[in-house]
Amino acid sequence: MSEIVRTDGLVKRYDGTLAVAGVDLAVEQGEIFGLVGPNGAGKTTTLRILATLLAPSAGTAEIAGMSVTRNPDQVRRVIGFMPDAFGVYDDMKVWEYLDFFARCYGIAPAARRRVIADLLELVDLADKRNSYVQTLSRGMQQRLCLAHALVHDPQVLLLDEPASGLDPRARVELRELLRELRSMGKTILISSHILPELEELCTSVVIIDRGQVLAQGRVTDIERRLRFGAVLRVRLLLEGEALEAARERFASDPDVASATLLEDGTIELGFRGDDAASARLLAASVAAGLPIVSFARAASDLEELFLQVTAQAPVAAA
Amino acid sequence: MTEWVVAPAPALPSGQRSQTFGRVVGGIVAIGVKELRGRMRGRRAFVILTLYLALLAIFALMVERIIETQFSNNFGGGLAANAGASIGQGIFAAVLMLMTLQVAFLAPSSTAGAISLEREKQTLDLLVTTPISSFAIVIGKLLSALIYVFLLIAASIPLMAAVFVFGGVGPEDMIKGYIVLIVAAIGLGSFGLLCSSLVKRTTAATAITIFGVLAITIGTVFILGFWQAMSGFDQNGNRRPGPFGVRSPAPLAWVNPFIAEADVLCGTESTFGGGWCGLVSGLVPTNEGVIFTNDPGVGVPPMPVPMPVGVPEKGIAPDGRQVFVGNDVVVVDGGGGIERRMVADVAAEPGQPFGVRRDGLWTRSVATWLILSAIFITLSVQAVSPTRRWRLRRGARVPKAPSA
Repeated sequence: MSEIVRTDGLVKRYDGTLAVAGVDLAVEQGEIFGLVGPNGAGKTTTLRILATLLAPSAGTAEIAGMSVTRNPDQVRRVIGFMPDAFGVYDDMKVWEYLDFFARCYGIAPAARRRVIADLLELVDLADKRNSYVQTLSRGMQQRLCLAHALVHDPQVLLLDEPASGLDPRARVELRELLRELRSMGKTILISSHILPELEELCTSVVIIDRGQVLAQGRVTDIERRLRFGAVLRVRLLLEGEALEAARERFASDPDVASATLLEDGTIELGFRGDDAASARLLAASVAAGLPIVSFARAASDLEELFLQVTAQAPVAAA
Repeated sequence: MTEWVVAPAPALPSGQRSQTFGRVVGGIVAIGVKELRGRMRGRRAFVILTLYLALLAIFALMVERIIETQFSNNFGGGLAANAGASIGQGIFAAVLMLMTLQVAFLAPSSTAGAISLEREKQTLDLLVTTPISSFAIVIGKLLSALIYVFLLIAASIPLMAAVFVFGGVGPEDMIKGYIVLIVAAIGLGSFGLLCSSLVKRTTAATAITIFGVLAITIGTVFILGFWQAMSGFDQNGNRRPGPFGVRSPAPLAWVNPFIAEADVLCGTESTFGGGWCGLVSGLVPTNEGVIFTNDPGVGVPPMPVPMPVGVPEKGIAPDGRQVFVGNDVVVVDGGGGIERRMVADVAAEPGQPFGVRRDGLWTRSVATWLILSAIFITLSVQAVSPTRRWRLRRGARVPKAPSA
């Protein structure tokens, strides 16, 4: 196991505000590593430091064993960076766009032509080769930007919110693309606040809030370590007092930590038990004659985990 | 999946200057190709060039007509035998000044958006994370913005060569004129680029750039004129030192490309005291200019008394001194007593007032702009470089964020 990205005590201050407050990351080769956190958590700052765009106020960051502050030129050759907000040049065709970046990396003309053809194939833009960049859809521009980050075949990809602003279909396509890149042996650091996306994709995640790491590790490990239970949502064919009575009935169950009646008539249960316990609860409720319309786990696990972790003090940090 | 091959990341170049040099050139070429693909696409650039040349030719023709009409009307024309030379000089002066105007505004305004537009369109981050150096980015941007200005300048050369049909202007005058144009384009272009790299918004960068251009063109002329108005003349008819005991803040004239071109045009003139020479020496009187004094203490050669035709050999000068004048003879009061010398000897003395060194100012202008360009480019490189930013703020150990 070799670590390809490593940060130690990374700190970044902007005029008095602490954007990153001592982040330690360790990313192994070939991982898809998710940085999760609410807006302003310090994900973008961390990625920008790794991308040699910002100098850290304190701490060190290394990529492939090279310091991002001391050897930025060397680091830039092994990383491909896709910022969260990026623009495209007007008056430029798709192939010219990639040709420009390939030139920036000093790729020879013959190799350049091949790389552009391969990349356009990879990101599914081969038929847009001669289109002007500004005429592409947002999703296509996003894929083109990803392609630009790949022209020099980097070992590490730094993707800042690559899925933001994409429609669901484009998101699925992006996810497929990232999987394909992983199978090609690339290490991918990806940040997002849209969690379900990362849950399926990532091998490891780090949860960041207010510049601090709250939890880090394999998705399954974190879930196990921070088991706070699940949230169950129950909808009943009841109204008014009958509904309130049903809520009290759920609240009296030993596995239920809390039972709240939401405005739309759904009852939300803070549930401590495992799947067997929830099956038992459902069976008991049906047996008691409650007219249950739906009975399901709320949201995705990672999202819930995230909400729980970020809502609490950084005690959860391992 | 297809594999692709990339030029291997070169090992840290220890003394491998040629490799570093090659990478910088590669970067400049990359930026240049990208910029020019956008600028030169389609017919637009060439249509503008053609129109520009047509207008310039019409302008030159009109100037020719004006001077020719003056001669045929005997209006300030002088000897008809000199008409060709006057027309040549007139066209040269008019076209050169027009091109200076064009360079003074076109060069800086075409670079004023170079970096700030990349910031506004959020493409700078993509560019900076490539191994391309900040120096290559800045130079590539500068050259690709200036290449169109250079194209306009180069396209005017055949038109300017028509001046030689009329005479009055030497090839060396034209070469000097073009050197000033090109250096001014580089200098003002790097000024625009600096504004663009320091100011985030293109509109603000452009406004500051244009304001700066107005300051170095109109502003310097105004201050130089003000200085001379404040200084006045002494009893010999020479200018006294102006405010703060300074004869003239000459460096202000060095940054003004119009004064530099006027100085070049002064070199084409056969008379002294009027025209372009008079304009330059009126704004920037130097010891090499027309300064007459009887005071040997200031280290300026003594004033030779002019010898108007028909003046008696013996007379009284306006200041009461006795003056002896004859053909080819001047009488000089050298401080230690009256001296009688031949005009030819006096004129041959180095630094002698009538041996005024013409067009000595443009070289300083060129040198000044080359130095300023180097400074502007260095500062731009620092401003573009994301992590190696110079921090001038007092006590600030915390680097400033280039963007939010």
